[in-house]
Amino acid sequence: MLTLDLLINGFVIGVFYALMAIGLSLIFGILKVVNFAHGEFYMVGAYAYTLTALMLGISPWLSLPFAFFVGLVVGLIVERLLMRPLYSGYTSWGLMRDEYAVIVTFGLSLFLINLVDKIVGPYAFKGPALVDISRIALGPILISGHRLIAAVVAASIIVVVALVIRFSFWGRQIQAVAQNRLGASLAGIDTAKASAIVFSLAGGLAAVSGALLANIFNATPDVGVFPAIKSYVIVVLGGMGSVPGSIIASIILGVLESFGGVYISYQYRDTFGLFILILFLLFRPQGLFGEKAREV
Amino acid sequence: MVANKSSTSVRQRVEFFVSLGILALIAVLPTMVTNAYWQGVVIVSMYFAMLAAAWNLLAGYTGQFSLAPATFGMIGAYVTGLLSYYYGATAIVGIPAAVIVAGVIGLSLGRIVMRLRGPYLALTTLSFAEIMRLVISNSIDITRGDLGLNVPGIFQGRLAYYYMMLAVLVAIQIGLYFLLRSRGGLYLRAIRDDEIAAASRGVKIVWWKTYAFTLSAAISGLAGALYGHFAQFISPELGLLSQSGIIISMVVIGGLGTLVGPIGGAFLVYVTSEFLRDFGGYQLVVFAFLVIIFGRFFREGLWGLLRAAFGERRSLPPVVQAASE
Repeated sequence: MLTLDLLINGFVIGVFYALMAIGLSLIFGILKVVNFAHGEFYMVGAYAYTLTALMLGISPWLSLPFAFFVGLVVGLIVERLLMRPLYSGYTSWGLMRDEYAVIVTFGLSLFLINLVDKIVGPYAFKGPALVDISRIALGPILISGHRLIAAVVAASIIVVVALVIRFSFWGRQIQAVAQNRLGASLAGIDTAKASAIVFSLAGGLAAVSGALLANIFNATPDVGVFPAIKSYVIVVLGGMGSVPGSIIASIILGVLESFGGVYISYQYRDTFGLFILILFLLFRPQGLFGEKAREV
Repeated sequence: MVANKSSTSVRQRVEFFVSLGILALIAVLPTMVTNAYWQGVVIVSMYFAMLAAAWNLLAGYTGQFSLAPATFGMIGAYVTGLLSYYYGATAIVGIPAAVIVAGVIGLSLGRIVMRLRGPYLALTTLSFAEIMRLVISNSIDITRGDLGLNVPGIFQGRLAYYYMMLAVLVAIQIGLYFLLRSRGGLYLRAIRDDEIAAASRGVKIVWWKTYAFTLSAAISGLAGALYGHFAQFISPELGLLSQSGIIISMVVIGGLGTLVGPIGGAFLVYVTSEFLRDFGGYQLVVFAFLVIIFGRFFREGLWGLLRAAFGERRSLPPVVQAASE
């Protein structure tokens, strides 16, 4: 019974991880950089959800799309102001791109954490639950009502996003730019627009993830740090830039942590993913499903 | 040897002497600042300056963007702290041990990541930093976890610490200057500018990268150990990502890839942040904002701005190109 319980719980956590990691993976696919401020999109979403629901007293079901919208806007602004230099001079990308991306996104992460810490304060806000049912019996196991509903919402969003990326016109443009930016632009695709869409979508998804989890991990200024680190593990595990890869890797990581926390060590459960990350970076940097992109 | 007349070597000499000038100002500062609190602030700035100089060697001169600059400081502090806690070892034993342990860990990390580049390197060092911090903070039986560890002091008076830190910082700065002037410094910069080209000209990439990682880690370990003995209390918070963020901010604001940048940046950022603390504590917001602005528009930091004001050429290629190019 414990095994099944751990499996389900790990799976549910994995769904939340996936919601966040997809955006990071799409950003890597299209800009070939890691967004070190991804956790702060999550944090912004957690606050947008919690504060609107608590202060304005509106239904959490309205706060949720609002959090998504806030994430979209923040992502779009960040892309316009900070990510443009990464591709506006495509032909003269130097070796300095990575370092630029690290500095700017890491600085942005510090900036947002401390700004929120100053404006909202360091206190934790518990997000309202989406449903009032405290426990739902799922076959033989019990799961918290909010967690189950939130996981269903997250899973539906993931399915929609995956389908949009795969089949829609915009989604195909994004895929084309991820494969070959120059080629896509020669084929008439507005690569700047594709990058803007990806970045704001990634911001929105991370924000929804933060909103859905605000009931479980209370909103604090640095609440996004750990989910972001999990997402880094996931995108490497699943292959940078691969959406199906990140979804599968999220589930694997969620289940692994769930079991590892019981059977190996609860104290060190957060380090498992990081060990996996280092091992993968060393021996299979293209991840489980990614294409080989490492320069040697 | 490298031709002494080259513009790089002239520029480095200018940077070196300006940084020594800053340190000379620091040396006479206690005659004016007699307040123990502010002397302590300058001592902590010197700790940050050492970490910043070490990170700059790795990121600014070798192009290896590690996200673990604070971690090696934490490792150094814990090596000497644990040695004295369990074995009663004095600082004479603890500090060299901290340098060696940090250096060896840096060496192994360097060997591990030597083939990784860009985002992969940043991610590996980031997870290394978090693993080290989580291990120290969760190994409560050994390190007392988040409770922190008391470390014995070395001296009685604050000024003794002040001049010890200053002497070490000057020694580090002189060492870095001669390293960068030497053939090795040229190799490091060659790796930063174009690794493949450097390899094709016979630079032993693996050896020099590992060398930079080891040296940077050893300097950070030294800084951490000295800080531990000064503060007499250490905790896993020394290795927080935000600490690494502060160190990176110092270098970026001061000037990445320059000898002055880390020194000037560390004093400027830390001392100003202590001033700003009285005005609502917006210091980290301001500095993070400055990092974004400098990273986005002024890639050589304040030192680059100063040099531009005196009409000199940029030394790093600009990353920002016009959209139409």
